[in-house]
This record gives sequence, C-alpha cells and structure tokens, in this order.
Amino acid sequence: MPIAEQGYQHWSGRLSGHAWRWLAITHRGVQIQFRNRFLRYVLFAAWTPAFLLVCMLSIWGLLEQKSKWVSTVVQFLRFINPHVIAQPRYYRLDVWRLCYGYFMHVELFFSMLIVLIVGPGLISQDLRVNALPLYFSRPLRRIDYFLGKLGVISFFIGMVTILPAVIAYVFGLLFSLNWHVAVVTFPILLAAVTYGIIICISAGTLMLAFSSLSRNLRYVALFWLGFWFVSGVVSDVLISGHNQQLRSQYYHSAPVLQPSTGAPSGRLLSRQYWRQFHSYQFEAQLHDWRPLVSYTGNLNRLGNKLLGINDVWLKLAKLEPNRWRRSFLLMRFGGPWYPWYWSLALLTGLFLGSAGLLKWSIRSFDRMK
Amino acid sequence: MADAQMQPIIELKDISKTYGQVKALDQLSCVIPAGATGLLGPNGSGKTTMIRTMLGLVRPDAGTGMVFGLDIRSQQLDIRRKIGFSPEDDCLFPGVHGIEFVAYAGELCGMQSSDAMQRAHEVLDYVGLGEVRYRKVESYSSGMKQRLKLAAAIVHDPQLLILDEPTNGMDPAGREHMLQLADDLATNKGMSLVFSSHLLPDVESVCRCIVVLSGGKLLVQGDIGTLKQIHSGSYELRLKEAPGNYVEHITDAGCQVQINGEMLRVRLPDGLAPEMLWRQAALDHVQIRHLRPQRSTLEEIFLGAVERS
Repeated sequence: MPIAEQGYQHWSGRLSGHAWRWLAITHRGVQIQFRNRFLRYVLFAAWTPAFLLVCMLSIWGLLEQKSKWVSTVVQFLRFINPHVIAQPRYYRLDVWRLCYGYFMHVELFFSMLIVLIVGPGLISQDLRVNALPLYFSRPLRRIDYFLGKLGVISFFIGMVTILPAVIAYVFGLLFSLNWHVAVVTFPILLAAVTYGIIICISAGTLMLAFSSLSRNLRYVALFWLGFWFVSGVVSDVLISGHNQQLRSQYYHSAPVLQPSTGAPSGRLLSRQYWRQFHSYQFEAQLHDWRPLVSYTGNLNRLGNKLLGINDVWLKLAKLEPNRWRRSFLLMRFGGPWYPWYWSLALLTGLFLGSAGLLKWSIRSFDRMK
Repeated sequence: MADAQMQPIIELKDISKTYGQVKALDQLSCVIPAGATGLLGPNGSGKTTMIRTMLGLVRPDAGTGMVFGLDIRSQQLDIRRKIGFSPEDDCLFPGVHGIEFVAYAGELCGMQSSDAMQRAHEVLDYVGLGEVRYRKVESYSSGMKQRLKLAAAIVHDPQLLILDEPTNGMDPAGREHMLQLADDLATNKGMSLVFSSHLLPDVESVCRCIVVLSGGKLLVQGDIGTLKQIHSGSYELRLKEAPGNYVEHITDAGCQVQINGEMLRVRLPDGLAPEMLWRQAALDHVQIRHLRPQRSTLEEIFLGAVERS
C-alpha cells in the first residue's frame, strides 16, 4: 500500500513572531462567521442608520452653504428649533454630536444583537469539541487566544459602529466643502471611535466570559439575552416605579410647596405644579442610580459623555424661555444625568470580572481533559 | 547520522507534578534521544502529563527539563515552534474543510496564510487525504481524522512529532497506514518521534527506543533491541508437521516445553546443548523449520517492568 503519492517535503519558510499571532484566530473566526446568512442580514440592517447619518451630515453641510438643494428639505426639519436652522454654522458641532449620538444609540442595539449571533460559540464550541489542545500545543499564549476571539466580536461591532462613523465623517466633510470643519469636528470622530472601542471591549469580554462557562452555546446565548434584556427591563421598571413615587410625593407635598397660592382652580394649580414637577424630577435624576442596572444604559451613559450629548441639550435648552420647558426638554431628550463615572466604574468592574472569569475557566491544561 | 540520533532532544530531571492528592509525575528523570521513541505505560501512568510537561503546557511542581536545549519553564513558546503534537481526542472544529483545518493549524504556528495553505495541500497529499481535502471534517472517518490531525501536526515541519494514541479506533488498514506514515517520518524524513500508545506492536513497529512509565515514575528506558535480551538455554522452535512424540521425548530428556500454537518454547536443562533438539527430531522423524534463541517480547518487557513496580 503506497503511503503517499507525493513525498513529504521539508518546509524552509520562517515562522512569524508572536505579536500578531492572535490575528490568525480573528481572521479565521471572521471568515467562518461571514458564512452565517442571518448575520449578513443583520449587518445590512445595521448600516441603514449609517446611511441616515451620512444623509443628515451631508444635508447640514449643504445647509451651511445655503445650497438651494436643501431648501425643500428644510421644511422637514421643523422639529428643530428655528434658531438652530437659522445659524447652521454656529450649531454645526451640536448637530453633529446629536447625529452621532442618535446613530450610536441605535447601533448599540445592533451591536448587542451581533454579539448574540457571533459570540456564544467562540469559546463554548472549542470547549465542546475539546479543541483547546489545538491552540495551546502551538506557540500561542492564552492572551493571544483571548485577543483572537475578542477580535472576532470587535470586528463585527466595529463594522457597525466605528466604520460607518468614519465613513459618515468623511461624507460630512466632503459636503461641508470646508477643511476647517475637519479640525473642529475631529474630536467627535475620536469620541465615536473611542465609544465603539469601549463597546467592543466591554461586550466582547463579557460575551467571552459567558462563552467560557458552558459547552452549550444555547445556554450562552440565554445568558447574554438575560444580561442584555433583563437588566434593561429591570432598570426601566425601577425607573418607572421611582418616577411614580416622585410624582406621588410631589402631589402630596404640593400644598406645602405653594401654600399661599390659594388654589383658585384645581386644574390651573395642577398645571403649574406639573410644570414645576419637571424641574423637581430633573433634579432627582441627577443622582438616580437606577439606570445603572441596565448594561446598555451604562454604555449609553459613557457614549453620552464622550460625545457631549448632555452638554448639547443644555445648550439647546437655553433657547427655551421657560424653566419648566427647559427641564422638560432635558428630561425628554437628554440624559441619563447621573455622574458618568458611576457607569465607568461599573463597566470597569464588569470587565475585570469577565477577565478574571476567563482566566479561571481556561486556566491551563492542568484543568483540561 | 548515528551520532546525531544519539543526541538527546529531551532531558527531564526529577520532574514532579501533583494534581490534588494524585502524583502524576514522581521525580521523573529521563533522557530521550533523537529518533523514534515509544512512550508506554498503563492508564494513569503519567504519559499525558509528561507530554504536556515537554510542551510546556503543565508547570511542574519540581524538577527541571530541557527540550532541544530550551527550558520547559521559561521557553515554552520556542519549544512549541519545534514540536508538532497530535492529541488523542478528536478536537476538530465542525463546519470547516480538511484543507482549512490544516492551513489554520499552520497559521497558528506563525506561517503566512498563503504559505500555510500551500503547505496544507502538500501534507494532505502526503497523508493520503488529498482527495477529500474539501470535505467537511465531521464527515471524515476515524482513520481520516487521525491522519488529518497528523497533517495538522506536521504542517510547520517540526523537528519533533508527538503522537498521542494515534491508532486509537482505527481499522487494521488505517492503522497500518498510520504506522507507515509515522515510520516514514521518523526513518526517512529526519523527524524525531514520541509515540505514546497502549498498543505494543504499534510501538515496536515504529520505535527504536521505549520509555515505560508507571505511577509517574520511570520503570524502563532504552533501546528495544537491547532490552529484548536473549534468554540463555531457552529456544523458540517450530516443526514442519505435528510434533507427535517429539515433545514427550524432549520433556523426558529434562526440557521444559511450552506450546504456543505452532511455536514451542523449550528450556534446556543445564549441561544440554541445542544439538540435542536436532538429534531427537531426527530420531522422531520430524523436521525442524525454525530454531532460535528465545528473546523477550516487548509485551514481556512491559509487563515485567509494571509487575516489578
């Protein structure tokens, strides 16, 4: 029986160094994930907001140039304060920040969905088919393995956050026809990219930690869904309950707050009070911990801080003549308003916990079959 | 070439490794030369831990070790660049083609993706999987999976190949094929081989040296030819036809006879020479077709060592 039709040849090539070894894992992982048709559909859907972002930045660029092309479009922008429309160049940064803010907010949802599709099998499948010896019997460190797997998640999150943010930025610059804009708006791009990286690292590490806990990827997917949805729902319920409580407290304390008004009309009194209630509620939100319960809420808070969304709303709120209206605007569109470093601390803790869990669950061959 | 073969590639000194209450390796010291070496031992004897220690995957509690002159404690990555390892378990990623699997193994070792792909084609041809390279790995038979793992282990042309139970679950033809490949790599391609197996004939057909472990300790080590020492006064004898009264007559002369199928194992009493067997055969009109001094089999060496331990 011939053992080979073609004899064994020695290989005289050179092996590369260790620095980029993780890239091989990422490359292969991305290739395999692209075979998933559902993932391709989600990626396609996730690019729709990017298209809207590009459109909005381009329209604003044309608006700054007072182009006749946008005169028909302006009538669709009536929801924006007329002062802002009248001075597009002055409000350029604010509008860009808001556009990027809304874009990243939507893309955060798609990022979580993509992590749900891509992430569960990354380590779980290796554990199930006992493939870890294939990695660790080769010149590969554990950190290379984790970086490679994290790279797969990061690639897809980057595709729906960082890449469209950069492309939209370029389009925004092209339509503004003013290279000075690049200097002014560059921090926004930097903030969007930084926010994208934070999502990649946080969600990626967390998903890898979940994935290392079970050999069954359905369980891992359920962990993730639970963490994502349940934490969000619990946070919403807590916030809603707290708002009800505030409303009740405010209602019962109303005569004490304005005992001298005489209360000529219950309805009139109610309207005044409720207008003031917005300010009362806004003050309460400044130190409300309940949004911290939501994982995506925390990411959102950091994104808001990086992109300066709350500052923009504070600036736009000043255009409103009434105090209660300003508070209403800030609560309705801005926020969350609690200190951003709370979220940073929580996400850092979550990252460290995930890293520790990864280290523990795939300690070495000492623990492997 | 002979000198090169005698150069030690693995030197372990007083290596100990404990998992909880279990001593996997107990002050193990051994030197493995270049060439093909069989690693033998009953279940739980420490073979796998020894392999993992050599790969730098397990950090020993005590002792020192060198592989190709590299320290197993501090130069694990450099060691693994020189080693190809084919684990016992299936450990194949589902959903990938054979060619992708082998190329990926090459990339993990640090090969450029184009080099890895080209090399994957070569080694798959070599192990006889060229025709099925584009089939998904889960559709491979047990024998094909073992050969695929072998291809993945040699894709970066290692200096040392470690095969852990490579013939497990294979049919006779597949087993023969795998042994031929291992022998070819060790004999003709200059690749050193550590062959861990429970199947003694497999080890004997491929390896020149053996290392026998039990309870994490080294029992026997050395050249198989040397270990199979000649038993003085004992002979293996085969007759052309049925022995008739021949066995009875030589037993009466003081010989101890043990019948193993067609083979007779005869132990002569002191003072008798083997010529006596010829003379008696002539008298009994039986024809001796085979007569040679008896040597220990690998099985006897193994069992003897384990029993002594």
